[in-house]
Amino acid sequence: MDERRLRFEAQALPHLDAALNLARWLTRSRADADDIVQDAMLRAYRAFDSVRGNEVKPWLLAIVRNCCFTWAKGARRRGHVALGEEVANDDAAFRSAEPDPEAAAIGADEGGKLVRLVEALPEEFRMALILREWEDMSYRQIAEVTGVPIGTVMSRLARARALLKTAWIDRVEGGTRHGVR
Amino acid sequence: MACDKALSVQALFDGELDATASAEIERHMVACAECDALFKDLASTRAALREHAPYYRADAALRSSVARALAKETGSRDALGAFFARTRQFWSGAISGAAGAGLAAAFVMFTVMAPVDDRLVADLTGAHLRSLMADHLIDVASSDHHTVKPWFAGHADVSPPVADFAAEGYALIGGRADYIDGRRAAVIVYRHGKHVINVFAWAGREALANETERNGYHIVAWHMDDLAFAAVSDTAVPEIEGLKRLIVGETQSGNKPPTP
Repeated sequence: MDERRLRFEAQALPHLDAALNLARWLTRSRADADDIVQDAMLRAYRAFDSVRGNEVKPWLLAIVRNCCFTWAKGARRRGHVALGEEVANDDAAFRSAEPDPEAAAIGADEGGKLVRLVEALPEEFRMALILREWEDMSYRQIAEVTGVPIGTVMSRLARARALLKTAWIDRVEGGTRHGVR
Repeated sequence: MACDKALSVQALFDGELDATASAEIERHMVACAECDALFKDLASTRAALREHAPYYRADAALRSSVARALAKETGSRDALGAFFARTRQFWSGAISGAAGAGLAAAFVMFTVMAPVDDRLVADLTGAHLRSLMADHLIDVASSDHHTVKPWFAGHADVSPPVADFAAEGYALIGGRADYIDGRRAAVIVYRHGKHVINVFAWAGREALANETERNGYHIVAWHMDDLAFAAVSDTAVPEIEGLKRLIVGETQSGNKPPTP
């Protein structure tokens, strides 16, 4: 058995869920996320020697991120609404998400509303939030995945959380509190 | 956000500040109502996400297609490796195809009847004691397995099954990374009545007796797949055994889809 493959299976494959989770939140589509992750894992495997002393997880998720953006460009060419490359730095970027079967299955309950709010965040904000809240990554690791300075990570996180807070917490506190324990 | 300390408050919330900077921001928050409210908002937002937003996982189909792609890629480099990969693929296909009994058989679980490994027992009870005394019980505090399990992926060498059994009397309270016998272990922390049960999981097949007592602490040990498990607590052995049965049962029933 190939030594390199064993190393890849031990060090990179454990992050397959993290890869899928990131791709799914970025693309908002299960089928696209599956395709992207498969492609990203193969690319990662081919480039695995370049990891060297670096942490595998941020390196792998950076590849997933790049594959998501490549996919988005293709989707735009095919005429689908997809990720934009530029983050609009205003609340107007809070736009409605494309309908998706998996999203529809989540339903119209409180949880479903929150999922749609996250999906409607500008993708760079959304990505910082996913890496921080789902993967518990440090600012430095998030900066590594997204290729921006730590200061930018901090302001994106702050914007993402402020947008969510405005749309979710205030609404819940202003109205019924059901669904929030 | 008008206060220029807002990003520092967020950094405090995210655990990015050292002790000195933390103390400074905490003092500031006492005086600044805006920053105090911001910290609470950050906590509410995180709590809402943990409760409502799913962690999407790779399913069996994606896992096997990734494995196929890797095998194919390896095959062009190493024909023998590809042969073994195909063999392994066959077995993984056979396993994912089989239901019920087949799945249970795949998770072969056995209890080892062997002499107690003293060093391991000392490590386990020592780690359990330290966790209680040094206020280092939990690295990630959550009753949500969608939070605890992914945390392990980044902080421990293994990612054991994590589930909350609050309904059965074993409430998941968090996870921690620890060292057992020089290896990184994932520790799943449960509360059972007034007792804390630390469930250690690490990659290994240590021959630990299924029940051990040391200084008033009980250890119940078992294996699942390639992981060694040891549940440590000062509660009675039957209570610990109850948790072990739940964990083993959870694993054998397969990975349930996340409940919303």
